[in-house]
Amino acid sequence: MAEPVLRLEGLRKAYNPGTPLEVEVLHGIDFTLAAGEFCALMGPSGSGKSTLLNIIGLLDRPGGGRILIQGRDATGLDDAALTRLRGRSIGFVFQYHHLLPAFTAAENVLMPMLVDRGRPDAEMRSRAAELLESVQLTPWRDNLASNMSGGQQQRVAVARALAMNPALLLADEPTGNLDSRSAQAVFDLMRRVNRERGTTVLIVTHNQALAAQCDRIVELVDGRIVSDHRKKGSTGGDASAAPCDA
Amino acid sequence: MGKWLPFEWIAASRFLREGRMQSIAIVLGVSIGVGVIVFMSAALSAQMGNIIRRVLSAQAHIVLLPPKEVARPLRGEPGTAQAAIVQKPFQRVRSIDQWQRLLRETQYMPAVAAAAPSASGSLLAVRGEATRAVTLTGVDPDTYFRIVPLPEKVVSGTARLGSEDIIVGAELASDLGVVVGDKLRIVPGAGEGVALTVTALVDLGSKGVNQRTAYVALHTAQALLGLAGGASSIDVTVHDIYAAEDVAKAIEAASGVEADSWIRTNSQFFTAINAQRVANTTIRLFVALAIAFGIAAVLIVSVVQKSREIGILRAMGASRGQILRVFLLQGAVLGLTGSLFGCAIAAAGIAVWERYVIDATGAPLLPIGYDWTIFAGAAVLATLTGLASAIWPALRGARLDPVVAIRG
Repeated sequence: MAEPVLRLEGLRKAYNPGTPLEVEVLHGIDFTLAAGEFCALMGPSGSGKSTLLNIIGLLDRPGGGRILIQGRDATGLDDAALTRLRGRSIGFVFQYHHLLPAFTAAENVLMPMLVDRGRPDAEMRSRAAELLESVQLTPWRDNLASNMSGGQQQRVAVARALAMNPALLLADEPTGNLDSRSAQAVFDLMRRVNRERGTTVLIVTHNQALAAQCDRIVELVDGRIVSDHRKKGSTGGDASAAPCDA
Repeated sequence: MGKWLPFEWIAASRFLREGRMQSIAIVLGVSIGVGVIVFMSAALSAQMGNIIRRVLSAQAHIVLLPPKEVARPLRGEPGTAQAAIVQKPFQRVRSIDQWQRLLRETQYMPAVAAAAPSASGSLLAVRGEATRAVTLTGVDPDTYFRIVPLPEKVVSGTARLGSEDIIVGAELASDLGVVVGDKLRIVPGAGEGVALTVTALVDLGSKGVNQRTAYVALHTAQALLGLAGGASSIDVTVHDIYAAEDVAKAIEAASGVEADSWIRTNSQFFTAINAQRVANTTIRLFVALAIAFGIAAVLIVSVVQKSREIGILRAMGASRGQILRVFLLQGAVLGLTGSLFGCAIAAAGIAVWERYVIDATGAPLLPIGYDWTIFAGAAVLATLTGLASAIWPALRGARLDPVVAIRG
């Protein structure tokens, strides 16, 4: 069987470790995402979803346990290696779209490639144009990010997240502040990316209707995975995966 | 987006453009600071150059003289002295021992620009009833004019020194009532003296000096002073006037003659010049500090404002080094842009100065001129200052925790 895109083993995280204010927010998470999965991560606020997503996205480091991206152990990597791995393997879509306001839509999509390779080239530009086309924003390519609607910005963000053709797309409430039509459009876009490119997607969401359209729903409560459901006929995944905490 | 520029340039220029008001304000601040520094430095160096030219163009940077004559007590039996009181001897006009060799050795020193022998002493100048004591200096015009450019100081006539010619100070000429072409008799302490033709009147910059100075050809002076074939001093100019004292010490140590530098003979004047240089440097330093803190303040604010963007860039794989360079570049660009405008301000200031600060004849009171080394130096310094002042903000930006930065 192919290497899973993401593997967490006994992952722990505490804030203010070693002080009287120490709070453990993740209590040993075991979790695997196979290539091509489309998974929703749900849970009440304060359950540790964002912390978990930041650790998976290599923006934060775990307090204990291991994290493997495409079989590569990221736990002991230094900042430079983490940054490189993050840039090449993971794409982010944040709740508040987080585009760079001083740059145009096309430039925002180009940015991850520019950061990786140092200076722009023709190939990057054509790839950015292609990605914008795939999110139907070609007419807006030269608009500053700050002059676009929320739904448009979020579609640019999805295109940007795909720029480096990452194995794993992480979305933190990507539809959280969009109206329901825009929300569905952004969700459909990610669904299409998953289907057409085989990109593994992990979405943190509160939206039951959207979660119901995912292949797998993992629920996190108080830093523990309390349920892990998979739809019939969904692709990939480890069928024996079970809630790790009863 | 810039054509093929690297990421750091693109991001830095975009960030600067985004914070337009801040960028413009700090560039204005840097411009004014650099403008003040450049104008002040140019004016001061012109003024010092002017004073130094006035003081030093009428005298050599270093004068080599024979060692002072000292009277030694007579020796009798060991441990006894025959004369208890020793009077100081008067200093005769003497030649420097083997002056040709000393001249050659001095000329070949790398710090030395030119050296020329001269024979000088006090004599009487007589015309009819009028008699004046003069300091007569015999020189070889070709070499000596390279040290003291007498032709530039001529008030009337031409600076020509044949064996029967004499150049006299302007005041001395009016005291004696001579004009160019007149004969003037120079009389040594004993003897008849010779009649010489006045070829030029010169203004050496000081009335006292003009009243008692006369120049003749070297061999004429040698004959009048009884210094056949001798030179009572060697005049030296050096490339770096501030190194004159060091060069003088080196010559003294090597040859045993006495070497007086202009720094030693004009010690008060030199102290004044030095004080001005120190004051100038101090002002420059503080203006540079003000510029540095201004740029640093703007960039610190910018790092705080841009922390979310920094977080996003880090999330897409930008390294700490890349973020660091983005902000260092902004500092350097602010410094460089400000300094270019500052140089323009200073150039305009100099133009206005030379146009409106003028004397009665319409010539500038103090021509400053455009010394490009001052402009270039200020631009380089301001750019480096911008770069240095960006270090701290850039480090702050690079060390931002992306999780915290993105959350805002």
